[in-house]
Amino acid sequence: MNLEDAMPTERDVTQPVTRSGPEPVSTPPADVAPEGSNWAIETRALRFYYGASLALKGIDIQIPRNQVTAFIGPSGCGKSTLLRCFNRMNDLIEHSRVDGEVLVDGENIYRPDIQMESLRKRVGMVFQKSNPFPMSIYENLTFGPRMRGIRDRSSLDQIVEHALRRADLWREVKDRLKDSALQLSGGQQQRLCIARTLANEPEIVLMDEPASALDPISTGKIEETIHELKQEYTIVIVTHNMQQAARCSDRTAFFYLGDLIEFDLTERIFSGPSRKETEDYVTGKFG
Amino acid sequence: MASSSTQTAAVTTPAVTAPPPSGRRPPVRGPHASSSWQEFRRQGIPAVWSTAAMVLVILLLLGGMVALILSKGLVHLWPASLTQVRTESGAFLGPVVQRETRPAQDGEAARDRILVKIGNRDLNGLDFRWFDVRDIRERTQPKDAIVLERREHGNFHGYLSAIRDGEQVVADRAQAWDKLGSAMHAVRADVNGIERVDGQLEKLHGPVVRLQRKLEIARRRAPADVARLEHEVETETARIAPQVAVLEQERETRGAALAQRVAVFTDAEGHEKNIRLDTIVRAYRPNAMGVFAKIRHYTAKLREFVFTGPRESNTEGGIFPALFGTLFMVLLMTLAVVPMGVIAALYLHEYARQGFLLRAVGLAVSNLAGVPSIVFGMFGLAFFVYGVGGFIDRTFFAATLPNPTFGTGGLLWASMTLALLTLPVVIVATEEGLSSVPRANREGALALGATQWQTLRHVVLPNAMPGILTGVILAVSRGAGEVAPLMLTGVVKLAPDLAVDGGFPFVHLERKFMHLGFHIYDVSMQSPNVEAAKPMVYTTTLLLLILVVALNASAIVLRNRMRRRYRGATL
Repeated sequence: MNLEDAMPTERDVTQPVTRSGPEPVSTPPADVAPEGSNWAIETRALRFYYGASLALKGIDIQIPRNQVTAFIGPSGCGKSTLLRCFNRMNDLIEHSRVDGEVLVDGENIYRPDIQMESLRKRVGMVFQKSNPFPMSIYENLTFGPRMRGIRDRSSLDQIVEHALRRADLWREVKDRLKDSALQLSGGQQQRLCIARTLANEPEIVLMDEPASALDPISTGKIEETIHELKQEYTIVIVTHNMQQAARCSDRTAFFYLGDLIEFDLTERIFSGPSRKETEDYVTGKFG
Repeated sequence: MASSSTQTAAVTTPAVTAPPPSGRRPPVRGPHASSSWQEFRRQGIPAVWSTAAMVLVILLLLGGMVALILSKGLVHLWPASLTQVRTESGAFLGPVVQRETRPAQDGEAARDRILVKIGNRDLNGLDFRWFDVRDIRERTQPKDAIVLERREHGNFHGYLSAIRDGEQVVADRAQAWDKLGSAMHAVRADVNGIERVDGQLEKLHGPVVRLQRKLEIARRRAPADVARLEHEVETETARIAPQVAVLEQERETRGAALAQRVAVFTDAEGHEKNIRLDTIVRAYRPNAMGVFAKIRHYTAKLREFVFTGPRESNTEGGIFPALFGTLFMVLLMTLAVVPMGVIAALYLHEYARQGFLLRAVGLAVSNLAGVPSIVFGMFGLAFFVYGVGGFIDRTFFAATLPNPTFGTGGLLWASMTLALLTLPVVIVATEEGLSSVPRANREGALALGATQWQTLRHVVLPNAMPGILTGVILAVSRGAGEVAPLMLTGVVKLAPDLAVDGGFPFVHLERKFMHLGFHIYDVSMQSPNVEAAKPMVYTTTLLLLILVVALNASAIVLRNRMRRRYRGATL
């Protein structure tokens, strides 16, 4: 424990990866390449530790492109933890440790030489609680592009309009882009956060219970947005709301106590799951 | 096992949450409660009362302090009426500054006495005197009694009889008072003339003085140059001699003219006294002044107090150099401590690895805040003044050694010492500000692909700004009021030159300076004339208090403005 204390967090996370098994480069290409390229995200024997406790017990999941994948499961089942492994947000947690592989577009993102900034640009994230920066709407939306060095006013304007239109917020805020983002309503703030993520032109959008703090009307709008976005993006959404998963996802994964219990087309999960635990959960017997 | 645990639960639960035994209702506040004393205790009413009482005591203390300083500080500049007191031993003129009853002792009855500021130190020796009320034969308030504020010997209290220019009487009796103002104004030309001549003389002598300094050094280090330099000094002196002669002639003429122009006064006893017009700062007749005249006088005195330098070993005149020194030192301190503290806090909070070392550093920083300030003064003296200052002198000012330039106390070193003293405050406040930044904001920025530095720079720092400013506020208020370390690092009783003036390089950080806090100490404890200094102490205290409050208030306004901007108006 003391040894771990003394080690920097990033090394904590990456060390087990370098130790465990063969490097992705050295795995036989025949094994990986054909199916690896089919999946937007794929994990292999992914384990995640908070200190000594094991939060993910070896997850193997393949998430397809341009679909909405929902993660459901009772609190503490590890679904959010898994989601946050996909853009390495878990690196921020002290004393955490990752074991196994996460492939985004066939590339292991836990390799030590991975560029964290470009990874997080490709894999965007929307959080449970909307977190607009205390800046203007415009500055919020251009934050990502500006951090990557885009300074040109007209292209920034274009990015802003495009992102707002796709998040279905353009009509509501186009005349007040200079106003503080904190003056928007809760639902608008969350859609602004979605637009902010889209302004980064990601390939994958991770959503961690994006509507759990919103009223039904705002939730409906968010769900509509998600539905439109899947044409262009791969979306992974964590939700507590069973109807939401049923309404807006193509596939659903059910997690329980750090294990992936079942992963299938959403209709099948909700109409005839193959596992008893899944059925109990979706029918409301526990959870 | 399970059943046994439910069993115990079943037994214990009622004991905890059961309603009181039947027949007794739960106690209710009010006249019908069965045991009102117990209820009284249960509500903690004595404790609540004592908390309120404690707050009241504190408020009274604070209010008393502010009231004392305000009343004493504000009254000093108001023109007090002059009372003429006639006793066995003579007549005296002056304002009554204190009344007291001497308690009965050794068979003597209690007696009332009054303290009169009789002024005229050059005639009486003392300018304050106690009078036993029973000894006073007559007390009057003559309308034509005049107070003169003089450049030396303190105030003069008396009556004007004439204005003279040499043997010639310019005005006398009734006219004299009306002419006094214009006569005082008329001498300004010569006074200014002498000042101008002095300036020109100093300028003329400049090259000679520099050559003499070189010669001085050469005598010690380079004997070969001595003869040449001596010659140069001689030629230069000879070159400027005619001009110097002309200027000195002018100076003498003007001086002689000034010496001729006097006002003739008589004191309460009727002794005549000639007072040179150019030594009079202000003349007024408080007994003849109406309220508006007094208010005008008050504002003029206030302006003098704030914007001019002290006279009469700091007991008269203004405190501008001290005010300026305080403000300038606080400014320098802030400029030094804020970047230092904020950057250190950023590293400690954002980048440093958690662990034993970090905890040790954190502990050291908080303990630093508790170190007595005089210790910082000692450190400043040893490290900044003798260490860094000495090094600078040896390296850049070797020519003027052994006279120190930076190797002695000065504004820069005092500011640096105070910066060190207030550093923990800034570090701790900044760290708190950084911790208060919502985690969601950091994650939001990182999730958008910002680097840690970009997140810090564009999201965390602006958000932490109110916290940082809180630290600055605390540092400023601590620094502005601190005196002890300054006494070791460069504050003086009287600094003739401000740290900023027209002479190159315009800002002289090596100069010694005056400070309001030290001024208060000096005037109250070190003054040769304590009674005369007393009102000055209160007025200066009031000004220091106003200064600190003003500095704090402006920082608080700034912080609130930022808070509104960064926290946003969510409601």
